[in-house]
Amino acid sequence: MSRHQYAMVMDLNKCLGCQTCTIACKKLWTDRDGTGYMYWNNVETRPGLGYPRQWDRIGGGWKDGSLQPSPLPTMDDYGHAWEYNYEQRLYEGKKQPVMPSPEPKSGCNWDEDVGGMNEDENYFFYVPRICNHCTHPACLEACPRKAIYKREEDGIVVIDQDRCQGYRYCIKACPYKKIYFNEVTGKSEKCIFCYPRLEKGQVNACAAQCPGRLRFVGLLDDPESPVHKLVLVHKIALPLFSEKGTQPNVFYVPPFNPPKRENYGKSIQEDPRVPLDYLIYLFGPEVKDVIVRLEAELKKTQEGGRSEALQLLIGRDAETRFHVRPQLVQIQL
Amino acid sequence: MRIRQLLIIASAVLLLSLMIWAQAAAKPVAGQSLSVVALSASADNLLNRGPSAWNQIAAKRVALNRTPPLYDTDEPATLEIQSLDVRIARAGGKLLVQLSWRDPTHDAVTLAEIPNTPPETRFRKVQTEADDRFFDAAAVMFPAKPGSDAIAPSLQMGDAEHPVEIYYWNATRGAMLMQAQGRGTTRRTGQSFPVNSTYQNGQWNVTFELPDLPSGTTVAFAVWNGSQKDRDGRKYFSVWQVLE
Repeated sequence: MSRHQYAMVMDLNKCLGCQTCTIACKKLWTDRDGTGYMYWNNVETRPGLGYPRQWDRIGGGWKDGSLQPSPLPTMDDYGHAWEYNYEQRLYEGKKQPVMPSPEPKSGCNWDEDVGGMNEDENYFFYVPRICNHCTHPACLEACPRKAIYKREEDGIVVIDQDRCQGYRYCIKACPYKKIYFNEVTGKSEKCIFCYPRLEKGQVNACAAQCPGRLRFVGLLDDPESPVHKLVLVHKIALPLFSEKGTQPNVFYVPPFNPPKRENYGKSIQEDPRVPLDYLIYLFGPEVKDVIVRLEAELKKTQEGGRSEALQLLIGRDAETRFHVRPQLVQIQL
Repeated sequence: MRIRQLLIIASAVLLLSLMIWAQAAAKPVAGQSLSVVALSASADNLLNRGPSAWNQIAAKRVALNRTPPLYDTDEPATLEIQSLDVRIARAGGKLLVQLSWRDPTHDAVTLAEIPNTPPETRFRKVQTEADDRFFDAAAVMFPAKPGSDAIAPSLQMGDAEHPVEIYYWNATRGAMLMQAQGRGTTRRTGQSFPVNSTYQNGQWNVTFELPDLPSGTTVAFAVWNGSQKDRDGRKYFSVWQVLE
């Protein structure tokens, strides 16, 4: 157990799938050789394939205290990088339209906005994903080099690039497939929760840039932090696939769309826009309790009251959404 | 009577300590020795000479074993490569070790060269072509303090009292010198060494240029088969052999 734990809450009701977080992360961390296919932060449409595709069904994580097997995702699952033949069209006078090559067959958020069908109506929502900086990380356990460690001071899980030998046991073990292999360096890489920014009192790049203001950052054990309030006090945020046993520290406020028809006075559970079964698949059976709580908060405000939980979720300013406290986690040497 | 009893006890103690000593100083037995041929050619010359030059040196066939499954999550592996042929020559103050083994799959690629300019100044970056491939590799391990008096270190990358040097060659990433003091302690020194490798007709011939090791030094070999997803301790290994 680390002494403190940084955590993030993402309110899925506010995510517009713009990928600004993805670009913020990419420009900052993965604009190097070998990192083209790496999205330490990605946003995927749900229901959907995800990135790498079908990562949620591939394996890994814990069961009864043992690591679970999983194949390595292949480049087909991530999608191969492609280029456009502009030269041919612009300079060589060829009549064919500009085409990508090789033919794109998969990629990040490949099935954007496809979603699923709920009876006769289409539905979808976005799920932004970063490394979950788990309390019980399967990747850390799987590494025979002990190259992965969880920072004592703030619970951030990082890969020591000097110790890593690129064996990729961690990629297999991670049930969220959030570790990527860099073939150029021969080492594996992952989200570092922007720890160099946090150490300077700056919030994570993905959270800072988010135009939807859906990300909340702070220490889970700091009663003043928004993540503490959302996860532990109001209990309206849940991790993805908690049954994988790694105890993620990224939490989601589940989609809380109004009922499909004649919504006035009706409960979401009576006529859900997003099928409850799918939410249970992602967030476990507890999601039903979260929806009941959120509905109760909504009712409170509709009756003229004030909901602290909903006020917090609006997250008007950075001070509300982010509690980055480097002085709290600093280890005195 | 008392003297006889004392004698029996004394000889029992002697026998026991002899057994313990023999156990501790366990040396590879006959049949695990490797002959070294002294040649007048320079090491460079021999390193790059074709198979015909090496074929004149008698090969010793060394049995390979598979490491037992290390992790529950790993697929079991079969013994696809049963042995390797070792040829050793001493030339120009160096020890040249050629390892040859049959491997029907050639698991090696040429990675794109990284330009000298920093990536942030370039529009195009070198891409990761594949994330799930592993490459053929081989290694020669010997005690960091070689010599006939030395006790053979643990076969699992030596131990705290008996560090080992590992001359590791990877079909894609080249030669790198490693050091270890027990399982899980292997580290790259950042140094390289001369190596020559060829793959022909389903056979690898890899020649390592090692420092001249004295007679009696123990050496062990390892082979990784990329197509079997070998890396780390997932590999083929030989038991200790002794240089004649």
